[in-house]
Amino acid sequence: MIKENNIKFIFLSLSLLLIILIFFFPFFWIITSSFKGPEEIIATSTTIIPRSFTLEHYNKILFNSDFFIYLKNSLIVSFSSMIISIVLSVSAAYGLHKLKFYGNKFVEYSLLVTYAFPGVILLVPIYLLFAKVNLLNSYFALIIVNVLFATPFAVWMLKAFFKLIPNEIEEAAYIDGASRYIVISRIIVPLAAPGIASVAIFCFIISWTEYLFASILISGDDQKTLPVGLAGIVGQYQIDWGFLLSGAVLASLPVILLFVFIGKYFVSGLTEGAVK
Amino acid sequence: MKNNNIEGWLFVSPLVIWISLIILVPIYIAFELSLFNVKIIGTSGKFVGIDNYIKLFGKSKFLNASLNSFYWVIGNAICQTFFAFTIALTINYKFPGKKIMANWIILSFIIPTVVVVVIWKLMLSSSSGVINSVLIDIGLLDEATGFFSTPNKAFISLVLINSWRWSPFLALIILSGLNSINREMYDASKVDGANFIQQFLFITFPNLKSVLFVLGLVGTLLSFNIFDIIWLITKGGPSSATTTLPLLIYETAFTKFRISQAATLSIVTSFLLLLFSIIFIKSMAPKEDD
Repeated sequence: MIKENNIKFIFLSLSLLLIILIFFFPFFWIITSSFKGPEEIIATSTTIIPRSFTLEHYNKILFNSDFFIYLKNSLIVSFSSMIISIVLSVSAAYGLHKLKFYGNKFVEYSLLVTYAFPGVILLVPIYLLFAKVNLLNSYFALIIVNVLFATPFAVWMLKAFFKLIPNEIEEAAYIDGASRYIVISRIIVPLAAPGIASVAIFCFIISWTEYLFASILISGDDQKTLPVGLAGIVGQYQIDWGFLLSGAVLASLPVILLFVFIGKYFVSGLTEGAVK
Repeated sequence: MKNNNIEGWLFVSPLVIWISLIILVPIYIAFELSLFNVKIIGTSGKFVGIDNYIKLFGKSKFLNASLNSFYWVIGNAICQTFFAFTIALTINYKFPGKKIMANWIILSFIIPTVVVVVIWKLMLSSSSGVINSVLIDIGLLDEATGFFSTPNKAFISLVLINSWRWSPFLALIILSGLNSINREMYDASKVDGANFIQQFLFITFPNLKSVLFVLGLVGTLLSFNIFDIIWLITKGGPSSATTTLPLLIYETAFTKFRISQAATLSIVTSFLLLLFSIIFIKSMAPKEDD
């Protein structure tokens, strides 16, 4: 017994060490590098502890670039996509998992497939379609697409939370004369609030990180989102690493901040919602 | 409960209509385009019937990209399964800092893909990358290597980078499956003298079936769809070694301006993915017991 525990301990420490090295160290690396002087970032001999400290890259990106325009665009697109996604997916998840109806399994599986289906396959025709209806270079073009990408998985995540709400509570409310609307707004939504919060984060992340469609559907600098703006720097022949790194850190900051406050709902939403 | 057919569809319909419109209308447009020979966006081409389809299957580019996509999906499946299970099983144990780790392991998933690209371009840089210098310091390499310089190295590096992004997210979903397993089963098996490898094989794994089904389906399709990581790092090179079908579609449409060819590729690809999904659902869907 003791021997098995020892093996377990060694396994656990080893994999913990590996996980920290592989999944956390890179973040330490780009954050510290974004404060290094330009020569140190591209130096051939790398040191783990930074030798120089400078704010010049942040200065440049905050006060000498389009950063705030891109940030504003990303925030508008992501928040709008998030809100529309939540309304649509809460409604759909309620229909799918609280009101069994003919064809609900078909809808459920189709949604799951659509979650992964679209992407680049739809790129060319959506571009043409949006060009025809004059939607290119508009926030709404990106919102339409983001909602499409976010909602299928959102519905799947909500399923677990809705299943945890006992039907008896609802039925008791109906007996007391409550309408469907009252039941949803006063019982279902409050009880599933942690689930809805985690779905909200998911939808926000999907929109915040979207690059492909944003790069094609938006051509004007005024509507570009952060990922597209950053990718513009990546694509340059001579990369200004300090500029790029500080941009990368700043572009990640909003999602990270959001995650600080409601991240635990997201993780527990994913892990404790007993998938069945 | 009473019959909810109409109300059920009412609740589902806004989303279903939104999704169907944004998928079906474009697919119809793509299908129409695939029957013409439109080149640059906005111009009209002449009707060529199924010519585009016939030409497509004779093209070595298409075959090459299909093969690359196949290897891409398999490579990612293997790497991500390994990483995701390692993370999930590790976090499932009790250790100090477990909560923080479980919350933040997903960092690589919540940041924009472009940032993932920036991170790994810097870390794997051949002239100043930290990975190169560490590998040289511990004696695994004699001199700095270019991780994207040869077809094989580029492909493997990209698979690892993409797995780095997705594994933590998958790990949390696996963790949800692990949490739903009754702990008493482990205690009972311990009494019977099972070790932890046997526990994994005979309790953990079988109980994860429904989670693994979803991951197998969604994970495959999601890996297939990856575009930005590959495009922003290698642009499909060197010598088309990392050009998967999504990259080929993008390239055909937006750098070569062969819109009809790109549409044809899209239709064929959708068909292949749909076929895969149907076969996967029909053969692997767990039996409903609720």
